[in-house]
Amino acid sequence: MLFLENIKLALSAIRANKMRSFLTMLGIIIGISSVITITSIGASAQAMINKQFESLEGGYMVLMINWRNTESIDYYADLFSWDDIEALKNRFPSYIRYIELMNLGNSSTTTKVGRLEATLSLYGAGADYNKFDKSIQIIHGRMINQGDVDAGRENIVIDVRAARQLFNKENVVGATLPATIYGDEKDLTIVGVYETPPSIFSGLMVETSYTCYVPISLMLGSDARSAYIEIFASDKDDPIVQAEAFLSYITKVKNKPADFYMYQSADEQISQVNTVLGTLSIALGAIAAISLLVGGIGIMNIMLVSVTERTREIGIRKSLGARTKDILTQFLIEAMILSSIGGIIGMALGMSLAGLGMSAFGIGVVIQPIVIVVTVIFSAGVGMFFGIFPARKAAKLDPIEALRYE
Amino acid sequence: MNPETTEIIKLQNLDKTYRNGNISVAALKKVNITINYGEFVAIMGASGSGKSTLMNILGCLDRPTGGDYFLEGIDIKEKTDDQLSFIRNQKIGFVFQSFNLIPRTSAFKNVELPMIYGKIPARDRKDRAVALLESVGLGDRYEHMPNELSGGQKQRVAIARALANEPTIILADEPTGNLDSVSSIEILEIFTKLNRDNGNTVIIVTHEPDIAKCTDRTITFKDGIVVEDARREEAV
Repeated sequence: MLFLENIKLALSAIRANKMRSFLTMLGIIIGISSVITITSIGASAQAMINKQFESLEGGYMVLMINWRNTESIDYYADLFSWDDIEALKNRFPSYIRYIELMNLGNSSTTTKVGRLEATLSLYGAGADYNKFDKSIQIIHGRMINQGDVDAGRENIVIDVRAARQLFNKENVVGATLPATIYGDEKDLTIVGVYETPPSIFSGLMVETSYTCYVPISLMLGSDARSAYIEIFASDKDDPIVQAEAFLSYITKVKNKPADFYMYQSADEQISQVNTVLGTLSIALGAIAAISLLVGGIGIMNIMLVSVTERTREIGIRKSLGARTKDILTQFLIEAMILSSIGGIIGMALGMSLAGLGMSAFGIGVVIQPIVIVVTVIFSAGVGMFFGIFPARKAAKLDPIEALRYE
Repeated sequence: MNPETTEIIKLQNLDKTYRNGNISVAALKKVNITINYGEFVAIMGASGSGKSTLMNILGCLDRPTGGDYFLEGIDIKEKTDDQLSFIRNQKIGFVFQSFNLIPRTSAFKNVELPMIYGKIPARDRKDRAVALLESVGLGDRYEHMPNELSGGQKQRVAIARALANEPTIILADEPTGNLDSVSSIEILEIFTKLNRDNGNTVIIVTHEPDIAKCTDRTITFKDGIVVEDARREEAV
């Protein structure tokens, strides 16, 4: 009952001094809005990067030569071969969903159709690679299939933008495309056209070449060697545990010291990126929190002024039967409401700022409902913390002294 | 009300000494006063005579430094600050010279306030505040702010507020000090009515003999000592 009265009382006191109340809130508004802006931008960036990795099936990893520990390598003995792929496949049949050698060398080729020209970046893919990399969305024809890989057929799946550039149309399935693969000129047949859903990276990077997929067997040949193996392992088991198992097995097969090969796992990279972003958000948020502290001191200052100004009122209230606790709650609630209103305004401002900032990159803002709850509670907490001293000062006033105060 | 006794206020050898560093000033010295239920008392004296100090002690705003004060048989010196707040809230209605209404707060809200502290339910508070304002002739002024009221009207709001929790004692400190003669008479009439018809014990602190004449008993202070305690025989 008294609580409700105190809220009404606080609101009328805030209304009575609009300008002063606003200036007092300003500190909290700036503090909360900067904390919200920074954490929302951090959370949005994190969500976008996670979404980026989400297009990849779980359990993505690459086994590779540990270049840092390797001074010279024997091309045939040390690099991975098709035999190694078979060995891994046979050893871990229920864990490996996709495994192929991976070409990371310079495989870009310039192709000409009539007078139109485009630079293609060729990627050697195993069968149904689009099932594992969801960013490959076939819109015409089909993806490289098992038959293409087994026979090393001269087929290619191209980016829809390359199709537009070279043929001025999208459905170019069946057309012939001349390309050079590691020095050999070949006439490839287009069997599929794909497109990629828009991403943050597409907005930030200018692509000079189009990624196109050819059978990995065509790309590397049957006697191929590569420093990299691309694997999609089981997404139901811990990727790190699986990667360790594959690594130790292949190290044994190749009869090499422990650090000769290594792996990189997508899950590990996601968590690394998230750790960096999280730390950054916390650091920036902490700096912003300092302005909250300044805001809190502002509240304390104005509450002290208010207590002094209203000394006589406090005396009257005490003479009418207000207990120490009643006066304390009155001023505490006033401080809390003052800073909560500041907090709510600051939150709205912070979210708009974050939205504005992120829309510049064409990204939607992630607003976490928990942030709203925490903000209100936290700003009320700031009000309580910095309001308690002035409120205690008010509550402890001697009624006679207070009544005499002019 | 304890039927065994007719004493509402009993002061025994009451002392009040103010200390400021090494200097101590005795404001009240061995005061013995007994006031019965339903009395209409004036406390008179020049400024500095100790009458305001007595008023503060009677109102439980201050504590004596020696002697005893019994209010309806309750020993005040054993009570905590919050217990004294409760006693003020329930048993005493204050009326001050400078009205002491809470600024920027309507007449209605001012009258409601003691009932809020007395934890009276909102509906009852409203009814009672309205009735009280009507009884002091301000039935059309509920929503007026103190600065929109004349001195006499302010003092009437203050009286309505003093009566909010139906206290037995009305303590008025120079209640007509800031009023013109017409308003003063009106306010005194209200006090007289409260005493005669409502049965309140009314204690008025004043330095004006005219005011004191309206009461039934005049206690005169000088230098912290009761120098005269006179009842008007023709009254009652």
